[in-house]
Amino acid sequence: MRPLLLRLLAAAAVVSGAGGAVLLPASGTSGIGAAARQVLEMALAAPRLIDYEGTKVITVLRNGRTETVTVAESHKRPDMMRLEYLSPEGVAGRIIVDNGRVAWHYEPRLNMAFKDDTLQRGLLGRDLTLLFRNYRVSVLGTDEVIGRQAYVIALDPKGPGVRRELWVDRATGTVLRSEERDPGRGVVLSSYFSRISFSLNLPEAYFRYRVPAGARVFTLRGTEDQSLSPAALARRVRFPVLIPPVLPEGYTFRGGGISRFGSLTSVYLRYSDGDNAISFFEAPAGSIGWPAFGNPVRVNGQPGRYIDLGYFRVLIWEQEGLRLTAVGTAPSETLLTVASQIAAGQEDGLVAEIASRTGGDPATIRHLRGEGMTFPEIVRTLVLSRHLGTDLPTAVRFVRGSLTVADLARELRMRPEVLKQVVQEASARAARMTPLVSPALAPSGAPR
Amino acid sequence: MDLNHHRVEQLLSAYVDGELTQAEARAVEEHLLDCGACRRAYEDLRATKALLGALPVAEPPAGWWSSLRAPLVPSRSRAGRGGRWLPLRGWRPAWALGALLLILALAAAPLVKGTMDRLHATEIGVDLYVREHALQMSAEPLVDRAYLGLVAGDADLVLVGESPRAGERRP
Repeated sequence: MRPLLLRLLAAAAVVSGAGGAVLLPASGTSGIGAAARQVLEMALAAPRLIDYEGTKVITVLRNGRTETVTVAESHKRPDMMRLEYLSPEGVAGRIIVDNGRVAWHYEPRLNMAFKDDTLQRGLLGRDLTLLFRNYRVSVLGTDEVIGRQAYVIALDPKGPGVRRELWVDRATGTVLRSEERDPGRGVVLSSYFSRISFSLNLPEAYFRYRVPAGARVFTLRGTEDQSLSPAALARRVRFPVLIPPVLPEGYTFRGGGISRFGSLTSVYLRYSDGDNAISFFEAPAGSIGWPAFGNPVRVNGQPGRYIDLGYFRVLIWEQEGLRLTAVGTAPSETLLTVASQIAAGQEDGLVAEIASRTGGDPATIRHLRGEGMTFPEIVRTLVLSRHLGTDLPTAVRFVRGSLTVADLARELRMRPEVLKQVVQEASARAARMTPLVSPALAPSGAPR
Repeated sequence: MDLNHHRVEQLLSAYVDGELTQAEARAVEEHLLDCGACRRAYEDLRATKALLGALPVAEPPAGWWSSLRAPLVPSRSRAGRGGRWLPLRGWRPAWALGALLLILALAAAPLVKGTMDRLHATEIGVDLYVREHALQMSAEPLVDRAYLGLVAGDADLVLVGESPRAGERRP
């Protein structure tokens, strides 16, 4: 098959197969970093361009031990997926068919079918501003995976977090292998194709799900309307919605909603750094008891429970009549620090302090909190808005990563390098004004 | 007979009332030995039912029934004239007690249901949130979707009262 994407990439970068050295792209935007970005963009473009079916082997931490899962994975452009789990025995036969809108999960041992939300939501997402802002993307060289040449790239978080390495097929851009490495625990998830074949047209019927005769069907609704701000959510539920005052550098609010299951109503807040996410769930304390497993911990002096599921970690605690649960891949210390900051409950004091330090209006600060921003983000927004002479919404978009330096420079009619300098100065000034910086969450750089 | 957690929850009330078959009762007992949440639910249910069952059957003082009937005699004569709006012939102490128990049971039902909901939420809370997180993680561009499908699939099963994997119990 003609490597179409290779030709696209070759226009910008030439990679030496022998030594693994990456030569600078002709476009000259920024050398190795730019080549790595192009490989990453090639990987993200691949699902739109190619169909494949293969056998994937996933090795992951689960409940204190390593588990290996084998799955037959098929993909049809742009966002259809079929997964048939082959091993271990406990999941053998499980099928997931996802058409990009709905995912059906079928469990043959129980003859049960579940209608779930799609797992392909971000597959075609191309906004990488936040990811490039928070991760250093670099090319490590080339390697061979099941006899195919692949570029190897690494995504290193600028703050605490998980490093990702990807083996990207030179011919198609498909990710043939990936590894996620936690700084404290080593590799927490790795996956690779032990066999793959590419096609330009897998039959659509293969990705259409039909419920087997006699199967019990369950529709498990996910979070309703996932784009609500904490302020909007607080108007819809009968309990207060707590917003994290501080998060690891780079994490920003990406959406919230209401999750309902039986009589349990929870508010859901999602924060992301472009590659990883931390979710917060909040529900009245009386509506849910403590789980019977996990390790007891103290969160700001209050009892809590920490559950290490392996890849995901869960921290549960109570405050102000609410049960809070944080779920993510972030290190346990990070989750505990974030939880302690929430549990400290100094909202009004921090609003007043930041208003005093920045000269900002307390009502504006409260409004930005209601939009899910952390206090360091608010300080940065206020300082940047003043430094650049922009309106507040523009500064908010920039701080949240939905506006790149290049976009903002165009809006302000500034040269990007000049804007970058101004942003760095403003960010350094903002960092000095922020009262909430703990060592574990110290900022490691200004937005790019 | 092997019963899952969800099914045992449904059978607990009948178990307390002694309405299960021998095999069902044995299976519930075996599950109660292993499951702390169901044991607590069982104790709560037993306590509630014991409370209802232990309500004293108060004997009315002598002459209470005649004093109750006395003012109604004119009504009976009105009924005799074609009114028939208060059929009191069936009004017996057992009926009064039954009505009282019904009112108490209706009042207690939301409490029992609330307790059961809460216990169910305790069992599934972590899985519910991990499932939700896994589905939301699919918004991230580079995440392995086959792995997320595995996590969400395991949680689906726990949410309907099944074990996440064949032959496996929650740690």
